[in-house]
Amino acid sequence: MTTYIIRRLLLVPLLLFGVTILIFGMLQFLTPAERASLYIRDIPKNERQLEIIIKHYNLNDPVYVQYWNWMVGKADPITGEIHGGILRGDFGYSRTGSEPVMDMIKHRFPATLELALLSVLPIIAVGIWLGVAAAVNHNKFIDQLIRVLSIIAASFPVFVFGLLLIMIFYAKLNWFPTGRYSQWVLEEIVSKQFATPTGFMTIDAIKAGRWDILLDTIRHLVLPVLVLSYISWATFVRVTRSSMLEALGQDYILTAREKGLSENQVVRKHALPNAMIPVTTMAGFTVVGLLGGVVITETIFNYPGIGSAAASAATQLDVVTVMGFALFNGFILIAANLIVDVLYGVIDPRVQLS
Amino acid sequence: MDKLLSVNDLRTHFYTREGVVHAVNGISFDLEAGETLGIVGESGCGKSVSMLSLLRLIPQPPGKILSGSANFNDIDLLSTSEDELRKIRGAKISMVFQDPMTYFNPVLKVGKQVMEPYLLHNDVSEKEAEERMFEMFAEVGISNPKGCAEDYPHQYSGGMRQRAMIAMALMCSPEILIADEPTTALDVTIQAQIIDMVRKLRDDFDMSIIWITHDLGIIANLAQRVIVMYAGYIIEEAYVKDLYKKPLHPYTIGLLNSLPRLDMKEKEKLNTIEGIPPVMYKETNLCPFAPRCQFAIDKCLNENPPLERFDNKRSVACWVDVETGKERK
Repeated sequence: MTTYIIRRLLLVPLLLFGVTILIFGMLQFLTPAERASLYIRDIPKNERQLEIIIKHYNLNDPVYVQYWNWMVGKADPITGEIHGGILRGDFGYSRTGSEPVMDMIKHRFPATLELALLSVLPIIAVGIWLGVAAAVNHNKFIDQLIRVLSIIAASFPVFVFGLLLIMIFYAKLNWFPTGRYSQWVLEEIVSKQFATPTGFMTIDAIKAGRWDILLDTIRHLVLPVLVLSYISWATFVRVTRSSMLEALGQDYILTAREKGLSENQVVRKHALPNAMIPVTTMAGFTVVGLLGGVVITETIFNYPGIGSAAASAATQLDVVTVMGFALFNGFILIAANLIVDVLYGVIDPRVQLS
Repeated sequence: MDKLLSVNDLRTHFYTREGVVHAVNGISFDLEAGETLGIVGESGCGKSVSMLSLLRLIPQPPGKILSGSANFNDIDLLSTSEDELRKIRGAKISMVFQDPMTYFNPVLKVGKQVMEPYLLHNDVSEKEAEERMFEMFAEVGISNPKGCAEDYPHQYSGGMRQRAMIAMALMCSPEILIADEPTTALDVTIQAQIIDMVRKLRDDFDMSIIWITHDLGIIANLAQRVIVMYAGYIIEEAYVKDLYKKPLHPYTIGLLNSLPRLDMKEKEKLNTIEGIPPVMYKETNLCPFAPRCQFAIDKCLNENPPLERFDNKRSVACWVDVETGKERK
């Protein structure tokens, strides 16, 4: 087990290197002039400036030199101060965010993570539960109901569902507003009356015992969580159901019944551990899907996370910010895959040997 | 001898898209204490289904046990409550299956699976169950029991897995062991080892065995009495010696003739029974074997022969006296 984990860990630096190459490579599709022009307004009048920027940022250097500078930073010839450098945690300055990309991630990621975690945990818990319930009651009413609901959910477009929810629960009923907090909460945060050390509104509110703020946070989270998770729910239920059905049809289930185990024990002790193998893979994909999903969800609900920032950066051709976010996303994907791989080794003993 | 298990008119059908498969069609037999009973027949003749029906282990739906009773210690296995039956499964009657690879759970340690029935049916600690398991492992000839208990099924060899499966079935010292072709997936030398071992265990544990197989050679080695099944019917039942000396049913004769023999010439072809066994979609009003039978007479195509008792010790379901080739009087 340990050697298996170590082997997986050894792969991580390689993968990270690959991600940086990939993202840096994409930037090379733009000519130096095109890249420099992103920083200048009214180019015909300021052609001289274009050259200065190209020279200042060494955009005409060979690709590997530029990659090196991007990775470890470059000393300013006059002050000797080192600028940039992914490895130093400097992802560059975000034009659309008006702050360094790293700071932007630090400010916005907790909001996205809060949204993603609150989506992913119910997806896994309820998804598995519903999938098992459907499989155990195969072809009975409850199974048919779960199947029909999950097919409807899986085929319902996110933006339609999101707008529908806003129309009903925000515009009409005003139960669940958009954004992340109400004006009065924002004022308390700005005026430092309410501190947010973790960046997770729910946790900070509970820690401070501010139930009114917790309630406000939850009201703002309900719709984004619903919209972000319903498609994953549907897929999760279906994968769990089918892998559970497959497991229940295996010979070892007959053995388990033959031993005198109750149906409940058979499902819990023998079928579920086997059914969890494909579900774990699915969980990895779900996390990946959520990271993409936050872009749409956050944009629809005007929720201040990574996704909405990435969307506006992309529309305004803020290449530095987009690259920073892409890189960050890549890191998270690698981490998610690592977790799934390790879990794989835990639940399926056959994996470790191969 | 005492009747340990008495099965009467067991009838199991499967309701499939293609039609109702009449898998077991009213079979009756007894199992005596300490006896080894062989059940022989081709694939699909209903031998496994009838045994699984006894413990109500056939999937329902599509399977359904339509009628019958199976008395075991004054309990009717087929009508007793699910809770009552669960106390018998794995404790008083346990089963060993054909393919130990697929019948072990691949993601659980073998030791855990072997201990499971003992922990379930007895009020014992994990430690006691483990001791019992090591005892059983020694009985079935698994060396290095500690290491093996921690291994997963895929780390075992085929023979080892079957030994572990037998150890698992014997954990609770069952009164009846049902072995469903346990040696079919093994090569011949391992097969012989396992059969020797089972014979020894039968005497040590004082249990009755129902051994399902399509290999009449194994039966001769192991069983006292044989039941031959065809198309969901018992067509012949006899003591092993009588059956080998003088088979009464044409199908049994065919089976015995198709056994490979040591005195066969080189390149001599094995005898076969022409045709394939029928899939029974409806009640038959002819002898199910008649289409393949070289002794068939007109009556065979009009009426299904009942299982009739002879000399008070054997039974056969056939209209024809195979010695004369004429209808039996």
